[in-house]
Amino acid sequence: MGIGATHIDHIVISSNNSGATAQLFADNLGIEIKRKMIRPGTSAQLAFAKLQEVVLEFAGPPQVDPDAEVKAKLWGLVLAVEDIEAAVASLREQGYTCSDPSKAVQPGAKIATVKGGTSGVPFAVIQYNALPIEEQA
Amino acid sequence: MNAKRIDHVGIVVKDLDEALATYGKNFGFSVDASKGGEVAGLGIKNAFMPVGESDLEFIQPLTSEGPVAQFAAERGEGTFMLSRAVEDVEKAVEHLRGLGVRVGNPTNGVAFVSMKSTHGVNLQLIERKNS
Repeated sequence: MGIGATHIDHIVISSNNSGATAQLFADNLGIEIKRKMIRPGTSAQLAFAKLQEVVLEFAGPPQVDPDAEVKAKLWGLVLAVEDIEAAVASLREQGYTCSDPSKAVQPGAKIATVKGGTSGVPFAVIQYNALPIEEQA
Repeated sequence: MNAKRIDHVGIVVKDLDEALATYGKNFGFSVDASKGGEVAGLGIKNAFMPVGESDLEFIQPLTSEGPVAQFAAERGEGTFMLSRAVEDVEKAVEHLRGLGVRVGNPTNGVAFVSMKSTHGVNLQLIERKNS
């Protein structure tokens, strides 16, 4: 039994100042920030960089204290799957609590979170091209 | 330093065999038997499960000392480290030091970037030719 994971889609780096952490990685580590956005609903500040097939997602709160020491940590992983409905069904059969797949910030994608039973790693699964074309904008 | 792939993500676990069984059974991942084992110098044992072009590395501390044991004591299990592939670790370290980044000396093709230079993210550089 598996979930049909094809690769690690993205790795979330949580920071109290995601813009500063993304810039640090860009300046020092040669990582190009490809996209910045505000997450709809939560207003979290997000920045994205891609290292071949894996995206680094820098996530932080909407409000930043410019005087605070910037602190970041590795947070969770998002696995790309071929069929998110099948993956969620499989995980639920194994006893996991999964959210229902919903529209992701990535165009055309659906995402579902997985709780518990992951050795302390916050997990989610994502499927691209999961939405009808008229809903992909 | 050119952008290369993420080589692996390190996950600290309490019981390696249990974690591998869980991820194998529930997620469908398989252990790469060509990697991993006991690393006495680091006080750990580890195993790797490939997912696409990167691996998940599961790490169990075997002693009460060292960064893995410290992480386990403070946070239990969880995402511990990001490992980035580089073509030449010596050159990568030299380049980063030129930018003022604090990096440990490479050992066996691996170097660790100081967490003071990454806002606290545990970042490893690992030499992978032609990857």
